[in-house]
Amino acid sequence: MISRKAFLKSGGLALFGISMGGIPTFLAEAANLVQAPGLFKRKKILVSIFQRGAMDGLMAVAPFGDKYLQAARPGLMMSAARTADTNPLIDLDGRFGLHPSMSSFESLFREKRLAIVHGIGSPNNTRSHFDAQDYMESGTPFSKGTSSGWLNRAVGLLGHEATPFQAVSLTSSMPRSFYGDMPSVAINNLQDFAIQMKGNPKGSSQVSKSFEDLYDQTSSGLLKETGKESFDAMKMLKSVDTKNYKPSSDAVYPNTALGNSLKQIAQLIKMDVGLEVAFAESGGWDTHFNQGKDTGVFARNVTDLSKSISAFWTDMTAYHDDLTVMTMTEFGRTVKQNGTGGTDHGRASCNFILGNGVNGGIVHGNVQALAIENLEDGRDLAVTTDFRSVFSEVANRHLLINNNKVLFPGFEGKGIGVMRGG
Amino acid sequence: MKTTLKYFFLPLSLFFTVTISASFISDSPSGKPFPYKSAGLSDRQAAAHLLSRFTYGARPGDIDAALKIGLEKWFSQQLMGDLADDSLNLMLKGYNAINLTNNEVSKLYPNPGQILRLAIKDGIISQDSIVQTGKKDYREQLKGYMLQKGFRPQAELQRQLINQKILRAAYSNNQTRELLTDFWFNHFNVSLTKGQSAEFIPAYERDVIRPNVFGSFENLVLATAKSPAMLTYLDNVTSSGTPESLSQQVNPQVQKRMAARASMNIADTAMRAKAVAKLQQNKKTQGLNENYAREVMELHTLGVDGGYSQSDVTQAARILTGWTVYPMENGYASAAKNLIERIGEQNLEKRGFVHEGDFLFAANRHDTGEKTVLGRKFPANGGYEEGVELLKMLANHTSSAKFISRKIAIRFVNDNPSQKLVDNMSAVFIKSKGNIAEVLLTMVSSPEFWNKEALREKTKSPFELAISAVRSLDADIYQPYQLFTWINKMGQKIYSYQAPTGFPDKGQYWINTGSLLNRMNFGLALASQRIPGIRVNLAAMNKNREPESSEAALVTYGRLIMPERDLSQTVDRLRPMLNDPELQKKIEVAASKNAVPETSATMVDPGVVMMDGTKEKQSAQGSVKRNDGKVLAMSGSNTMLAQVVGIILGSPEFQRK
Repeated sequence: MISRKAFLKSGGLALFGISMGGIPTFLAEAANLVQAPGLFKRKKILVSIFQRGAMDGLMAVAPFGDKYLQAARPGLMMSAARTADTNPLIDLDGRFGLHPSMSSFESLFREKRLAIVHGIGSPNNTRSHFDAQDYMESGTPFSKGTSSGWLNRAVGLLGHEATPFQAVSLTSSMPRSFYGDMPSVAINNLQDFAIQMKGNPKGSSQVSKSFEDLYDQTSSGLLKETGKESFDAMKMLKSVDTKNYKPSSDAVYPNTALGNSLKQIAQLIKMDVGLEVAFAESGGWDTHFNQGKDTGVFARNVTDLSKSISAFWTDMTAYHDDLTVMTMTEFGRTVKQNGTGGTDHGRASCNFILGNGVNGGIVHGNVQALAIENLEDGRDLAVTTDFRSVFSEVANRHLLINNNKVLFPGFEGKGIGVMRGG
Repeated sequence: MKTTLKYFFLPLSLFFTVTISASFISDSPSGKPFPYKSAGLSDRQAAAHLLSRFTYGARPGDIDAALKIGLEKWFSQQLMGDLADDSLNLMLKGYNAINLTNNEVSKLYPNPGQILRLAIKDGIISQDSIVQTGKKDYREQLKGYMLQKGFRPQAELQRQLINQKILRAAYSNNQTRELLTDFWFNHFNVSLTKGQSAEFIPAYERDVIRPNVFGSFENLVLATAKSPAMLTYLDNVTSSGTPESLSQQVNPQVQKRMAARASMNIADTAMRAKAVAKLQQNKKTQGLNENYAREVMELHTLGVDGGYSQSDVTQAARILTGWTVYPMENGYASAAKNLIERIGEQNLEKRGFVHEGDFLFAANRHDTGEKTVLGRKFPANGGYEEGVELLKMLANHTSSAKFISRKIAIRFVNDNPSQKLVDNMSAVFIKSKGNIAEVLLTMVSSPEFWNKEALREKTKSPFELAISAVRSLDADIYQPYQLFTWINKMGQKIYSYQAPTGFPDKGQYWINTGSLLNRMNFGLALASQRIPGIRVNLAAMNKNREPESSEAALVTYGRLIMPERDLSQTVDRLRPMLNDPELQKKIEVAASKNAVPETSATMVDPGVVMMDGTKEKQSAQGSVKRNDGKVLAMSGSNTMLAQVVGIILGSPEFQRK
């Protein structure tokens, strides 16, 4: 196998070597492993975004010509035709229309870098947020007791040496997807990566040095090693001004939780710290009330989602070949609008996959006419694509993981062609 | 008169306590002295080790106190778990929510969905107005409604739950009982992240876990199986037999009618959809859910390699169909409520139903067929009793004995306990029918527990780290939630581990690049009084004697905070830093500011901001002041003494136990 540490000899590392007067040990060690410079290969990065609360896939990407949908959603339906008072849907392919607030996705879709899978969901028909998220993140839709998350298993299957930043979640606590034996980091804010002594910079460097010495001498291998990595990481992050980060190519991140998470993921990637699997979250999708149409809560949510992802993509221009971004949500929402201007818990939704390796410009999946006989339990968009088909295909093609038995135990299904060469 | 009586009974009760614990020891197979001498440990070293494993960290003086009564007796007292906890109880006095029954909680702290339903039902919020009014108005309306009805936000309940755990861990005299409560809660994990079970968790810990932590394992399994928290968390609450396996239909006529309507060619699409959905809804409640049955075997009793098959899981799930939650007054489980009203509470037993507190065995949803689990046949029509038999069989199974013994040994000895130790413990487990106290005593009476290799081998979890730091400094906690914020930051969001596995119990899980710096920062913040609502008095720890030098400070406080640890290397390593002349100066300044008497004004608690922005009245939430004449030592927040103590708390040594 080609050592994926080879990249360390390239430009990114040199940048830090100079700026901080020393290379983090874990990177230097990794770089030393490189035998043949000709085998240079940058590692691939998967960014997963969980939309918690269950996104209404039928509003994000609407089969706008469907007369059943129009009848079921008199207060929520938008049209692709230009009218005076509302923004029209963005007609993607004559059948599906993208919500107007996701206009920044249009060009990515036309460039065939953005794919949509519609009718995606879990084979387990639970409509509980908790259970559905749990199943999706563990990757085992019929087993609660799976101790690991699917992304943690994916990290384990990468099969090469890693830096402490191989798997990073930009969340305040460890997400279920990351539970497991492979080391991973959950951090809300990169600036927390420091010894903090308020208003006492001299004290803090003194104390930091003391801690470094103490961890260096401890007889506990675990504490010694992790301590070393922590201080190396701290120094490295200190060397770049994380607070005043300037995104490249004039990318503008929305000042939202998701925008900030993706911005920090971008920083980590540019620092070449060895990030391969990143995780971020987006909330507020449980739109039981007053969902809105081209304005309102749903519109705000998809604005945030699409602008954050687009900004990230623009910012990461130099890394496009290495990147795949994938969204996921626990289930979709009822076809019919409810009595309070919203939608209730349903079954299938849609998701977005962005990357140069993505078979983009296509709405994948199988969405039938939304007549009652085609609906699951007579009310919901039917799940026609198992989320594991898509997740595994992305992992197989992009991260070159080829052990789906471990990645998704008990899953026998195949990919659906969302990635090129699939 | 009253006083006389009290004094009259005091010796008597003392006598009983002594007799009971004494007989406990002599009756147990291992009622001999703990074998630490042969492991080469001194009495003090042994005490330090025992307390590091069976308390949340030794406070100043705890080791001497334990030595005074003898380690064996100290441990047996802890296993009784009934030492007086007057000062803790005083602190918890203002915590009104944590003593409520599940039913009372459901009335006082309905979840947001329930509140909305009630508000709509009461006509306070019309469905149309939700669509029209802006989000803010709508929130105001709801808030007003909650105020009017006397509803409280569930965040308050959860906050009290979290705060009481922190206070109990820090201040209870029954330290081992609290540790075991944490251990068994984690073993039978439920999570605040699941909204449906969140409101039941305070009663779960209080009534289901804590009273059973030293008793028979079987009781724990049965109690958790019947608790609303577990029934909802692992979905058994909705599990029922297939229609053909049920003895009595819920209402066959209604079902027939609905099926007919669904199959009819109704022109009105919406109406038809409604009919279909209703039928589906009904069908949904008539399905087998295997989640609990699987996890009770895999995680609670036998262990994943315990020798059961998928068929055993399915059959066990069938046995447990109908095990559900008794309807609550606020409308929870209203379907069952209607049924019970129809049958009549007095007729429940006749119809095979069982109603015990919050638990309901709904006979109408029970699969009446014959089942076989692990080779044992459960004849048809076994009703509620077959579930009890099943759980007893699982709890006392050889695989469970091994699985539980190993888990206990991992928790209290080291991450990789020897097979011999585990075998000895499981033998006692089987012989004593799963008596947890006896298994613990066997473990502590084994040479393996005292082996030098086991000392300092466990890594403290973030919760243990925070509590042990507070205890070692004898700190006063006025705002427990502030500690929770740090514990969460260090990687352990208590009560919120999503998976039924509970937090993993191994060092690698807790120590990673993301969490380690937070541990160091926690030590620094605590020692320098930068955690609001947590007060430390570093000078008082050393009887208000100033250390002569910073090196002396390190030695003195190192010994106070980590008794019986060899800190010579630490001191050597830090000597250059400590001899920095600037440091000396700062220490002198710090010392001169010592012994400032604490006025009542400085004791006023700033209050904790609630989720909705209002201030929590901390005085009613456990900010009991200690009237022990303590003085504030640290007026400056960044003295060098604090820095030294912060380094001790953040040091690798302090992360170990």
